[in-house]
Amino acid sequence: MATYSQKLREQKRLDTDRLMNLLSRFSIHIVIILLSLGCLFPLLLIVSASFTDEIALTRFGYNLIPTQFSTDAYAAIFRTPGVIIRAYLVTIFTTVVGTILALALMSPLAYALSRPDFILRKPLSLFVFFTMLFSGGIVPYYILMTQYLRVQDTVLALILPYLVVVYYVLILRTYFAALPSELIDAARVDGAGEFRIFLSIALPLAKPALATIALFTALNYWNDWTTALYFVRDPQLYPLQYMLYIIQSNAQAMQLQGSVGNITVGEVPTQTARMAMAVLATGPAALMFLVFQRYLVRGVTLGAFR
Amino acid sequence: MAKGFSRRNFLKSMGVAAAAGGLNFAGLSRLAAAGAGRYQDLPRLVYLYPGSPQPDVQTVQDVLSAYMAERIGATIELRAIDWGAFDGQIGLINASAENYDLAFTAPWINNYYTNINQEYLASIGDMLPELAPNYWASLTPETWEAARVGGGIYAGINQQIFVKPFGPYLRTDVLEALNLGDAFAALTSYDQLDPIMAAIKEYADQDDTLTHVTYNLAQIMVAENWGFDPQNSGLIVRSSDPSAQVEIYSQTDEYRQAAETIRRWYLAGYAPSDVALWSEMDAAWTAGQYALRVSDIVKPGGNAEVEARWGWAVTSKPIAEPLLTTGGVTATLNGVSSVSAHPDLAVRYLELVNSDPVFYNTLCKGIMGTHWEWADESQQLIRPANGAAGFGDTGYNPNTDWMFGNVFNSYYSDPTQIGAWPETAELNRNARPSPLLGFTFDGSAVETEIASISAVTQEFGSPLGSGLVDVAEGLAAYNQAQLDAGIERVRDEMQSQIDAWKSANA
Repeated sequence: MATYSQKLREQKRLDTDRLMNLLSRFSIHIVIILLSLGCLFPLLLIVSASFTDEIALTRFGYNLIPTQFSTDAYAAIFRTPGVIIRAYLVTIFTTVVGTILALALMSPLAYALSRPDFILRKPLSLFVFFTMLFSGGIVPYYILMTQYLRVQDTVLALILPYLVVVYYVLILRTYFAALPSELIDAARVDGAGEFRIFLSIALPLAKPALATIALFTALNYWNDWTTALYFVRDPQLYPLQYMLYIIQSNAQAMQLQGSVGNITVGEVPTQTARMAMAVLATGPAALMFLVFQRYLVRGVTLGAFR
Repeated sequence: MAKGFSRRNFLKSMGVAAAAGGLNFAGLSRLAAAGAGRYQDLPRLVYLYPGSPQPDVQTVQDVLSAYMAERIGATIELRAIDWGAFDGQIGLINASAENYDLAFTAPWINNYYTNINQEYLASIGDMLPELAPNYWASLTPETWEAARVGGGIYAGINQQIFVKPFGPYLRTDVLEALNLGDAFAALTSYDQLDPIMAAIKEYADQDDTLTHVTYNLAQIMVAENWGFDPQNSGLIVRSSDPSAQVEIYSQTDEYRQAAETIRRWYLAGYAPSDVALWSEMDAAWTAGQYALRVSDIVKPGGNAEVEARWGWAVTSKPIAEPLLTTGGVTATLNGVSSVSAHPDLAVRYLELVNSDPVFYNTLCKGIMGTHWEWADESQQLIRPANGAAGFGDTGYNPNTDWMFGNVFNSYYSDPTQIGAWPETAELNRNARPSPLLGFTFDGSAVETEIASISAVTQEFGSPLGSGLVDVAEGLAAYNQAQLDAGIERVRDEMQSQIDAWKSANA
């Protein structure tokens, strides 16, 4: 008897549990769906606007579905496709070369700093981490780049600034330091030199950390436009993000001139052309994200270690 | 053999370049004899200016350099920096004392007064009469005074329209359809626009493209519309007041009147009620959504310019009296860098670009035969070279003549512009000088107040300018907020500077 009512009660509890579970999942899903819609909406608006007729866009405003379909904006951009292709090449080149170089520089540095038996460990640490706390500011940075290194208007100017990011060195160092020292000792006993130990033992073990740092560095290079703002004047060397920035800020500067009044200006890119440019610039990157999403998610969680 | 051939080819190309630049034959042969090496040893002036870098800039630069080498013994390097990056880059260039010789400067970009305060610009006032005699003589002494700051002149003034005769622009098709020609031509104040706007509104209600009568109403609040010389922080001086008493603009009857007019128009539904849309004014004009621009600068050739920019033929009528102010004159300047190794050559360059039409137009329009050709030389009218569809397709079209020098030397690129330059020059010459022409306010003593006033203007002034608030209430709140922000201290500081300036110039 008792067992039956107990069973019944148990059954009821399970039912409410399942219901609650379902409800909470449902509400979480609603929230997440709303959030992702919030992210998706502006993108869709841009895509739709880029396919809208310029005049219709002004008359009817932004719509999720183009009020009057037109590919004029894309036609206008692809009249000189060289510009955007060039910008893509610059960005891809700096991202790939920059990321590889950055890893090649940061990982040995971090490894050396992680070894307690390294004599120069303290002074080198101070030298590296000091820059994290105190920076010279923008003008000395500019003077260094333009008057001592003389890299303005070269692709080097786009690569150099992110080669060693102290924060990433810190992450890598922590990761290397956590590798069991017995491993290194064992390798040494087996007759491996320092380089051999670093290349064959430490680096392969640090792969997850390296992947994370590579991803962050690549994102830095991909999204960077300020470096170009300071050091690049040659349109042939404009990276993608800077080109977008220039298009937008040129349009603003020209509006400013309009308010100055007594002067005429060149052509301001139309709204639809600006949108189309944004689509062309973010589109492939977004596609790449879909492909690499797996790694990105893994990378982000790894970034949160220790 | 091959060497001789390439050399001849080289000389031929030099010849083409030199002929386009208008070199005489003696000069050409001297140049040819000396080869390129000779003028590459000459000092090279670096000129920084905002603009999209043009594909053919190198060719133009070579032609200009050859021309300059003959005349002033220097060559030029043209460095265009994109509009959006110009202020940032030149700020760094100046701060790091990077070498350059000339740069575009104005109160609105690469700030002229900041540059003087930071000693980024060289004082060239003493050199101008001697090294740039024609240029110096081409502007009246009062005009030069406008560029003077603390006793020195730090930049050359580009002649363009100095005055701002604001007035309404009306689309000609609407004007004709409604038979408003006489009423429009008879306008003498913005208040008289009411019946015209009412008629357009009725017309717009039956037309599905035309959605509004007008767009941005705040334009009629521009102080020049009311005969005022606008100064820093919402302060003004009446152009008719020789004693130059500083007043708070929002406390004048004229401001109240402008605010009431705007409010009336806004309530009548003449402009879109969503003020955020007003920033898309030009796009909406192109789309044909409204017919009247309430207040823009009405200038010779202006109608053609508006039509060329956004389509739609227009008729305009100036309402504001042309007034010569410091701000109008200093809107376009070219300064000489204080780190320039050759300030004397830079001043000679200013002479050349402001008084030699051949040189100036090569800089503005490119090379004859390559980028443009004569459509009618007697009228100084040009067209894109080699059948190109527009100047934008020729490879060199900075399209900023006003940035480089005296626009009155500029060739016309549109037949409707012909004759606009002498008319504009006349307008400048006949304009009444403001009692403050040549005065520039130094706000360093009241910086905090200026910053708070600017915030107050955003908060209280903008709603009045868009007609969103009741005038009596909004104006009282605005005036009070300005007083709280310390506008009286700015006014008194300005007044004392003006009085000192007046007695020094008496």
